[in-house]
Amino acid sequence: MTIRTRLTLWYAGILTASLLVIGYGTYREIDEQMRHAHRSEPTERAIGETSEMVFQVGLPAVLLGLLGGWWLTRRALGPVKKLTDAATKIQERNLRDPLPRTGNGDELDQLTKVFNDSLARLDDSFKRIHEFTLHASHELKTPLTVLCGEIETTLRDETLPPAERERLLSQLDEVRRLSKIVDGLTLLAKADAGQVTMQFETVRLDELVRDNFADAQILAEPQSIKVELQNCEEISVRGDRHRLRQLLLNLADNAVKYNQPQGGVTVNLQRVDGFAEFTVANTGQGIPPEILPRVFDRFFRGDPAHSQTVDGCGLGLSIAQWIVSAHNGTIKIESATAKTTTVTMRLPMEE
Amino acid sequence: MNAGGSNFSMRVLVVEDEKKTASFVRKALQAEGFAVDVCHNGDDALAAARATPFDGIVLDIMLPGRDGLSVLRQLRERKNVTPVLLLSARGEVNERVEGLNAGADDYLPKPFELVELVARVRALTRRGGETKSTVLRVADLTLDTLTRQAQRGETKIELTAREFRLLEFLMRSAGRMCGRMMILEKVWDYDFDPGTNLVDVYIRRLREKIDAEFEPKLLHTVRGAGYMLKQAP
Repeated sequence: MTIRTRLTLWYAGILTASLLVIGYGTYREIDEQMRHAHRSEPTERAIGETSEMVFQVGLPAVLLGLLGGWWLTRRALGPVKKLTDAATKIQERNLRDPLPRTGNGDELDQLTKVFNDSLARLDDSFKRIHEFTLHASHELKTPLTVLCGEIETTLRDETLPPAERERLLSQLDEVRRLSKIVDGLTLLAKADAGQVTMQFETVRLDELVRDNFADAQILAEPQSIKVELQNCEEISVRGDRHRLRQLLLNLADNAVKYNQPQGGVTVNLQRVDGFAEFTVANTGQGIPPEILPRVFDRFFRGDPAHSQTVDGCGLGLSIAQWIVSAHNGTIKIESATAKTTTVTMRLPMEE
Repeated sequence: MNAGGSNFSMRVLVVEDEKKTASFVRKALQAEGFAVDVCHNGDDALAAARATPFDGIVLDIMLPGRDGLSVLRQLRERKNVTPVLLLSARGEVNERVEGLNAGADDYLPKPFELVELVARVRALTRRGGETKSTVLRVADLTLDTLTRQAQRGETKIELTAREFRLLEFLMRSAGRMCGRMMILEKVWDYDFDPGTNLVDVYIRRLREKIDAEFEPKLLHTVRGAGYMLKQAP
């Protein structure tokens, strides 16, 4: 029950009670006067006159009062509703847009001010985190370049003993892995700061899906995983071709990596509810329901044991999620049974 | 590796303020037979480019004082058409576009792999000199880019469209090291690292088709560097 309904009901109750008190008072007064005038059967007449007064004057007054009360609560609580509506729209992205203030210094205006101040502090913290990530990843790039370059230079020495070469190659692998992580981190930090611009154009999603399907088949082959393209309806979307390809490849790659030998991957693209819906389903270990909501988190690895065997930077799904939301789409991941995992992505279609 | 000989007399200017990076880039290019000059800031680079005709310039964007993009614009304003490879630690798509618009010929984000840089400099300095022939040949492997036919000796080889592009790229760069990023860029048109082993898997397939049943082996893997198609081991 809203505050407004509650207040109105209370108010109605109070008015009704007052009406009863006034009615009773009036009755006593009339009765008294009549008894004073020595009239016969004063009680019945008094009741008649009282109810006449109550119904003709009291009831309309009460109704008017109710209406006024209803209006008053509306006036009083209106700004609260506005505040709520505005606060509902707050997300990490628009922390910079403060809630509208009336500026009249009343209680609600004070509340809005306090609220805006905490928003600003929150925004500031987010900004600091983003800036930190961005600067950190920039600062890491130069030493990584030097490390990678110097190891590569040493490896060019053909007289290098095999054991030494092996050690350096292993180091080089790790440096490259680190570089990939830094690349991913830079991309996401820039995306957070709104510094990555997409090159939007009309893209035939089905063509990208077909292309990606061919690559997925090749990726799956070493583990004898069967990749199947169920539907591939002709659908155009407005999007960044490179990013969409990156997204599709990323999802296909995951479906193969987190699979089992002789497993399967099913790819599907079709129109659903006016959206271009792309799904990738894969066999494998499945994802326990308790960690499902976290799989898009940066560096989140469901199974720490798994992260040792599967190569990747731990940012793939976060990047995928960013690409989808930059296209005003949605992405979700489900593990219906313990054996299959389905990623469903929806993008708005282009007319 | 492919030392000496082919790049002889090619002169490259490396503009990089980070001393260690400048040093190993210089070494790597010298190992490939390039003559290398190094500058640590933009003004020196402009003066050097004015004094010496270079075959290519490796230009870092972040330089103290005058930055790389400004150097590049100055060069182009002076009608200097030396091929330029931009290096950048920022690695933004926009920056790539901005660099290419300012007149750069190629762009490589940091951290880069040395083999990528060397391959790109080589491609840069050879630009225009690349074979235009429609039939490519390495040992008894031939690829007809018009009929899209591949053949090893007398045996016809069936290739998918992607495998064809990959083989064509490797054959056009025969005898030279090809890094993964460069392959991804030329064959898949990816200008980012998708973080998969797509290239390795495709190479394995291609090797099964062109090398498995034949001698000598042509497609070689150099661990930590990339792939090379050539006759000798």
